[in-house]
This record gives sequence, C-alpha cells and structure tokens, in this order.
Amino acid sequence: MSDTALTVPTTGSSWFTEKILMGATPREYARSLVTPFNLFAAVVLLAGAVAIIYRFIYGLGAVTNLSQVNAWGIWKGLNVITGVALGAGGYTLAAAVYILGLKEYRPVVRIGVLAGFLGYSFAVVGLLIDIGQPWRIPYPLVYSFGVTSVLFEVAWCMCLYLTVLILEFSPAVYEWLGWRGIRERTLHLSVGFVAFGVILSSMHQPSLGALFLMAPSKLHPLWYSQYLPTMFFVSSAVSGLTMVIAVSTLARWGMRDAFSPSLLARLPHLSLGLGRGAALLLFAYLFLKLQALIDGHHIDLLATGWGAWYLLEVIGFVAAPCLLMAYGSHHARLGLVRVAAFWALAGIILNRMNVSVIALNWNVADRYYPSTGEWLIAGALLMVAIVAFRWVCYRMPVLFDHPEFEAH
Amino acid sequence: METHGILTLYSTKTIEYVVAISYLLLFIPFWRYVSAGRQNALAATRPARSLTTTMTEWFELAKDAAYHPGHAWAKLDGTTAALVGADDFAQKLVGPIHQIELPGVGTEVHQGSPAWRLHVDGKVVDMVSPVTGVVTAVNREAIDQPAVVKSDPYHQGWLLKVEGPRVAPTARGLLTGDLARRWIQQATDALRLRMTPDLGLALQDGGVPVDGLAAAIDQERWDEIAREHLLS
Repeated sequence: MSDTALTVPTTGSSWFTEKILMGATPREYARSLVTPFNLFAAVVLLAGAVAIIYRFIYGLGAVTNLSQVNAWGIWKGLNVITGVALGAGGYTLAAAVYILGLKEYRPVVRIGVLAGFLGYSFAVVGLLIDIGQPWRIPYPLVYSFGVTSVLFEVAWCMCLYLTVLILEFSPAVYEWLGWRGIRERTLHLSVGFVAFGVILSSMHQPSLGALFLMAPSKLHPLWYSQYLPTMFFVSSAVSGLTMVIAVSTLARWGMRDAFSPSLLARLPHLSLGLGRGAALLLFAYLFLKLQALIDGHHIDLLATGWGAWYLLEVIGFVAAPCLLMAYGSHHARLGLVRVAAFWALAGIILNRMNVSVIALNWNVADRYYPSTGEWLIAGALLMVAIVAFRWVCYRMPVLFDHPEFEAH
Repeated sequence: METHGILTLYSTKTIEYVVAISYLLLFIPFWRYVSAGRQNALAATRPARSLTTTMTEWFELAKDAAYHPGHAWAKLDGTTAALVGADDFAQKLVGPIHQIELPGVGTEVHQGSPAWRLHVDGKVVDMVSPVTGVVTAVNREAIDQPAVVKSDPYHQGWLLKVEGPRVAPTARGLLTGDLARRWIQQATDALRLRMTPDLGLALQDGGVPVDGLAAAIDQERWDEIAREHLLS
C-alpha cells in the first residue's frame, strides 16, 4: 500500500471510497494490494482457514497432536499465554503516560494500545478454536462462575480488559469516522479506563503464571516457582516496552508513509527512553529468576539437559539482552537498543513457551510436538493480527495525529 | 512438595537474602549507568544535527532546505509535496513564541503571502509561505509546544505540509547552498547596522545575545522591525 495517511480525501467521494479505499477507485485499490507481502499473507491465511474449517468439522483430534496427557498445546501456549504477554504494551504505555505523567511518550501510546488489543484478540480467537465447545466460552462469565478457579479470574479479567482496550482505542476510530462528540466524551473518561486497565492487567498477567502453580508435578522444577506470578508480571512490563520499540521499528521499516513527519523525527528519542525502562525491568527480572532458582532448591538440575535449556533462556535471553539494552541506552546507540528489544521479546516468548508447553509434562513418555495443522492455525492468527495492524494504521490516526482533531 | 532440613533451609534463606541485598546494591549503579544514556542521547543528536545544518555567523541553516527571503524554509518531499517552517533567523528575531496560528488543512497558501501567524509578547507577526499549494497536514506539536520551533526549527519544528502541482515550480526559485549562506549573512549585517553601539559591542563578544533580536533593537516597535525582515 502506498497511499499516504496525510492525504486529504477527495471531496465528493463516497464514504466507502474515502474511508476504506483511501480515495482510490476499487480497481486501483485492488491493484495496490498485489504486493509480495500481501501474496504471502494470503497464502498463510488461506492455509489457516482450511485448517480451521477442518478442525471444526472433524474435531481437535484430527488437526492437533493434543491428548488427554498433553491437553495444552501451542494455541494456549503461543496464542493465549504468549499473546497476552506480548499485548502488555497497552497497559505499560498508558500507565507511563496517563498515570506516571510521562507525557512525552503520548505519541506512541496508540501503538501500544493497538498492539495490546490485537495481542488479546489473538489470544481470545485462539482460545475459541482451542476449546472443545467454543459456544460455552461465556459460561465462566454468566452461567457457571467457578470462583475457586484461577481461570475464572483470567476469563473475567481478559474479557474486561479487552473491553477497556477497545474503549481506550476508540477515540482513534471516532477521529477516523469524524464523530467529534462521542470522541470528546470518551476522552473525558480515558484516565478512568487507563486506571481500570492497569488494575486488570496487574491481576491477570500474574494469574497466568499462577495457573502453573497448580501443576507442581507437571512443570519442570527449574521453571516451577512460587515466584511465577511475580515473574510473569515483571516480564509482561518488559514485553510491553520492548513490543512498542519492535512494532514501531517494523512499522517504520514497512509502512513509513503512514507516519507523521513529527513522530518519525521523535521515534529515535522515544525508543531510547523506552529502552532505558526495559533495561531496568530486565535487570529486576533477572534477579527474580535467580531468586526463584535458589528458592527452588534445584541448582543440581542445572547440570542436566533441561538445565542447559534453562540457562540458555536465563543467560541467553534475559541477561544478554539486558546488558545489550543497558549498553545501547547508555551510549544512545539506537540500533543496539532495537536489536536488544527484539532479543528480549524472543526471551519472553521462549519463557512463556517453556512454562506452558516445552517444560510442561517434561517427565511423560508421550511428548507433545505441535502438528502442522496447529502451526498453520497459529500462523494464520498471527498474520490476521499483522494485517489488521497495517489496515488500521493506514486509515486511523495511530502513527499520525488527525489534522482535524486536537491531540489529547 | 519436598521437605527441607533446617540447615538447608537456613543456608537457602541466607543465599536469598544475599541475592536480594546484592540486587538492591547493584541496581543503583546499574540505574545510574542506564540513566546516563539520557544525556548521551541528547549529545548524540548534536553531531547528527551538525551534519544536516550549517552555522553562519549567528544563525543556523539546514543544508537540505531551501529558503524564502521572508525567512521561511521548504523541504521538498517528492515532486508535489513539501514541509515548510520558519528558519532560525525568524525565531531568533522575534524571540520566545507564545502561540503559533496555523492555517487549517485544505487551505491554499501562496508563495510570498502570509500563511501562519506568530504570537509573541502580546503582539502578532505574520510569516509568508515559501511555496504555493494546499495544506495537507499541520504540526500539532508546534501548536502545543511552540518552543519546538526554537529548539529544532528544521526538523521537529516544521509547521505545514503543503501539496500540489505548484509546489516544486515555486520551490525552484528559493535560495539554497552558498546563495542561502550569503543571503543570511547580508540579513545579519543589516540587523547589526540597526543595533545601538552598546548592544553592538556586546555582540562582538561572540554568539547571539538574546532571544528576540528585534526587541533588543527597539523594545516598543520590535514587531515592525520583525515584519520588515519577514516581508509580511
């Protein structure tokens, strides 16, 4: 897509042409869609759609390698547990700007909120495909509370937080649609939404870690710890900051024409600031990992194969990006900060996958390996999030300020 | 859950306390090391800026901009669009800007005609557009924080994005390179001639003495002096 987000729509054109096709004719718009990335995305989405249809016709057993022993696969591990961690940009950035008063980061709040909304949507849709009877997903909300279950809290929190994210992002949608009145009323309530969102995130991010406290015999001792909820929460904040650096870097590379010149000029400074915050949080997270290791009384297990894998995660994907981020921040080396952000994100993904899939059921004979169908569906959901991000950013004021509205 | 012997428990707790104290002690130098990056980040932008700007006797000029004699600059973006703003001379001439009034998106601006308005110290000074076209974006940051025009007039301090078929033809007549440097030097000399001997002596010491050179020349009629230089 080559249309610039700053172009004034042609006067007299229809709503659909103006808002959806960005002023182009249907033929021109269709032609602009034929790009190598879009073709790749189409193949991934088509393959995923076929796998999803197959799963709903023939059931989970036909598409997945899940079993009674290995009931949780990558749709929960990658889509839900990891997706929620990667969606933490919404609450970290909103808290920094609206609660801590770090106003200079306001231009990147919408990037964080949109990434958060897509991350959580990615989790919910993944869950809908994963659970045996998806039509029962509202049960914990309205029919069968199950108040003693950690998942009860996770279900309510995620549902409420997704609603909060929609409300937090809605002013951008109203600006796009030109609905001034409702936009102003929503903005008046925004601090309330943000505060509610931070409270909800501080509940469900640790709760996802707390889920595994119920499985001491299933999770490998090196990963099992009473500190899991705290580690999940601290690492989600790392994920939130690094995700905004990573997403803005990728967007700057792939959709530069959707940025306002002002944000493009400020992005390096903002990324360095976010990098400083991420370095400090990674430092705290590293010590928590160390504390958890000592508290677990299983230092002897470091000499095993699982120990090597654990050390790779902690040294290779927590300590190393932490030091690189600190070095890059100290010397204002933006390139290093960006590399460290991607590296730290890889570490968060590895940690969530280790806890929820790889080191879970480590001691059973029937090891779980995701099937091709599971990968196809997980890949398609990720692609939906990427395509949705691009679609929104080219139309709505995320990477630029809408010229007809005052910045809030 | 496994059980622990009392000795094992104590030794484990000791290590945990040592780790916690070590963390607190190490966090302070780590925080100071990382936070020093704020100053380094500011310092890092300076050489980058010197690569893109050139300093004349008193005023800075962006190498990639073209200048209108009314002290507005334009940077072409493709063949039909340009970013425009006020140059370093303009902002130093008028002094601290309290408010910037920009035209709305969709407004047509013409080269040499007033395009935006600076509110300074209770007075109003218009500035002319360097190119002809339609305004397609305005810099909200400059409206919210006019100080950005002073701190970074050629990058973050841009004011308007102008588009249209007349942008490139009108930009062709603007001053660039050595021509722009000679022109800004002449403007500097003209300014110096108007200054009182006392202020002139102070200026010889080096650097630009104050924000608001026009006010330094005549406190009462500074806006007229500014308009004369800004051709508005």
